[in-house]
Amino acid sequence: MNEQVISGYKSQSLGLHGTIPGADQLREKAFSNFEAQGFPTKKSEDWRYSDMRQFHKQAYGLVDHAAKPELPDMLGETAARFVFINGRYSEDLSDLGDLWQAISIRPLANHFMSNEYRVNELITGTDAVSCLNTAMLRDGLVLSVPAGVEIDDPIEIVHVMSDASNQAAHVRHVVELGEYAAVSVIERFIGDDSAYWTNSVLQARVTEGAKLRHIRVQEDGANAVHTAKSYINLDGGSEYICTNVALGGKMSRFDAEVRILVDGAKAIVNGVALAGSGQSHDMHVHISHIAPHSSSDQVFRTVADSHGKTSFQGKITVAKDAQRTLADQSFKALIFDKTAEANAKPELEILADDVKCSHGATVGQLDDKAIFYLTSRGIDPETARQMLVAAFTAEALEKIEFDDIKEALSGRIATWMLTRTATPKA
Amino acid sequence: MLKIKDLHVQVGGTEIIKGLTLEIKPGETHAIMGLNGAGKSTLANTIAGRDDYTVTEGTITYQGKNLLDFEPHERVGEGIFLGFQYPVEIPGVSNLNFMRTALNGVRKYNGLEAMTAADFMKLVRAKAKALDMNPDMLKRFVNVGFSGGEKKRNEMLQMALLDPKLAVLDETDSGLDIDALRIVSEGINAQRRDDTSILLITHYQRLLDYVQPDFVHIMIDGKIVKSGGKELAIELEEKGYASVV
Ligand SMILES: Nc1ncnc2c1ncn2[C@@H]1O[C@H](COP(=O)(O)OP(=O)(O)OP(=O)(O)O)[C@@H](O)[C@H]1O
Ligand SMILES: [Mg+2]
Repeated sequence: MNEQVISGYKSQSLGLHGTIPGADQLREKAFSNFEAQGFPTKKSEDWRYSDMRQFHKQAYGLVDHAAKPELPDMLGETAARFVFINGRYSEDLSDLGDLWQAISIRPLANHFMSNEYRVNELITGTDAVSCLNTAMLRDGLVLSVPAGVEIDDPIEIVHVMSDASNQAAHVRHVVELGEYAAVSVIERFIGDDSAYWTNSVLQARVTEGAKLRHIRVQEDGANAVHTAKSYINLDGGSEYICTNVALGGKMSRFDAEVRILVDGAKAIVNGVALAGSGQSHDMHVHISHIAPHSSSDQVFRTVADSHGKTSFQGKITVAKDAQRTLADQSFKALIFDKTAEANAKPELEILADDVKCSHGATVGQLDDKAIFYLTSRGIDPETARQMLVAAFTAEALEKIEFDDIKEALSGRIATWMLTRTATPKA
Repeated sequence: MLKIKDLHVQVGGTEIIKGLTLEIKPGETHAIMGLNGAGKSTLANTIAGRDDYTVTEGTITYQGKNLLDFEPHERVGEGIFLGFQYPVEIPGVSNLNFMRTALNGVRKYNGLEAMTAADFMKLVRAKAKALDMNPDMLKRFVNVGFSGGEKKRNEMLQMALLDPKLAVLDETDSGLDIDALRIVSEGINAQRRDDTSILLITHYQRLLDYVQPDFVHIMIDGKIVKSGGKELAIELEEKGYASVV
């Protein structure tokens, strides 16, 4: 690993010492962990499809200027909106609604001050990229929903990057759901054309009977790289329903690490990725069934245009005691021509004997017969392709319970198809 | 309406249509009969514009225009409809959304405003009722899980909605029960006007009892080898291809 890169991050991390009370030790520990591992390369099985070369060449700096970029419209009806500009929480731009009456939400730094003793258990993550996120800890939200409280409308967290070439934002959100609480979190990522890095982690503890809905919409700028990790721990009878939509960036990577710790929990992790020319989207899911009677489901649909690439690695592990586990996984990829790429690697590791697991992966092209059928009814070929892609991706959006948001996302997919067909293709 | 002259068509490098000539005038109904593999569906798909069917020689003129200059969806805009021998299943696309997009595509091509969802619903319900179709089928995915006969009825519904000038119906009668055959035939007859033409492709004289053709053609090995009136179909049914041609 490049010494200059390491020392670059080291001085950044040291520079942050004292900025968050009680976090210095955690930072140091995370940094030595990062240093020991270094950024992953293609040789690591988990990262074989991700092009990490840019991380080995230079250390992304910390963004230090506040910008006033334009904010996107809300995706749908929301209970509150939190805005992070270049990785820093913006109180001015955020709108808490009347959420504060029901739940506790505060910037990570404040939370640390009052909970110093919990610092170590609060922050998880052991892979190099998450460790770097911890070593660079600056901002994030801590969202605690008290037992029994259900928030109907989703909470939107918008991450905006602006004028941040060769700079990075390491944001960390912590979600804690009390027993039988319910909340929906939409994370959005947008940015300008600068060559920035978004490195985002969300960790959640979903206690007994609670329900966390998680929607991620990644629309980073064309030159951005995006890495993200979700660490989810599920207690008895709880639910985690995640939909990840990857549209932007030149390289993006999403990792979901879900652990079912107590009986009867349910995890759904779905995703859609659309890769245009030169883009690559990599999605990883690891669902670990540790306790019995739990279920998990993964539905991923990806589309790669000419010179675009999508990858999926889905791992299901079932521990010896996790009897009566139900686990499904389905990955389907569309490639538009021979220069497009789709990779799939399902992995099952089952130690219990009374389980039902299934998985399937297919890669194909748009069905010519279907296109001809649609055009033979007067539908122009662009619209026909758009309809088929919408139909193809719909299944992976199905678990979004908010119709307006689902529609907005379908709209994004249609727009992607329109802009792609607007450029002439060989 | 349609003039086909010395048409040669290749599919996957093999010549399937080998010099076919046919003229259909406005108001006429023609039937093409022929052995399996004669090239009937190839002809129908060529008229509709399937792009892997290559016209190597000959011409197709439709309403005075060179049909081969038009893309498949433009041909529909110009008034051509193909009823498929094997309608395609499209999972994830609802029948209603499909038909509305189709109708509005054709309207747009002809400079008309898009039909509102409410008007469209009224229209499609009425047309479906005339074909004795279960309205639930409108909400289902296009042809997915439809029985053979239901698929053919769905084709007829699309024809009724698009109201073509020239309908090419490829074995629309196959897979239909007796009642369905009568209903579908009524649908076809409703489409027969002084200014419209129909080209029926069929193996059975039975359909021609309901939809009486003005001309019957026998197609063998990529060519029309014999033409006549309705009596030709009866003769075929009685004696078989070997003794008629
Ligand atoms: N891709 C292809 N390459 C070579 N031959 C093909 C190809 N597709 C179709 N054919 C052949 O073209 C011939 C004509 O097929 P077509 O479907 O037009 O026949 P048809 O008259 O409609 O028959 P049927 O009565 O069975 O529907 C057949 O022999 C078929 O095998
Ligand atoms: Mg045929």
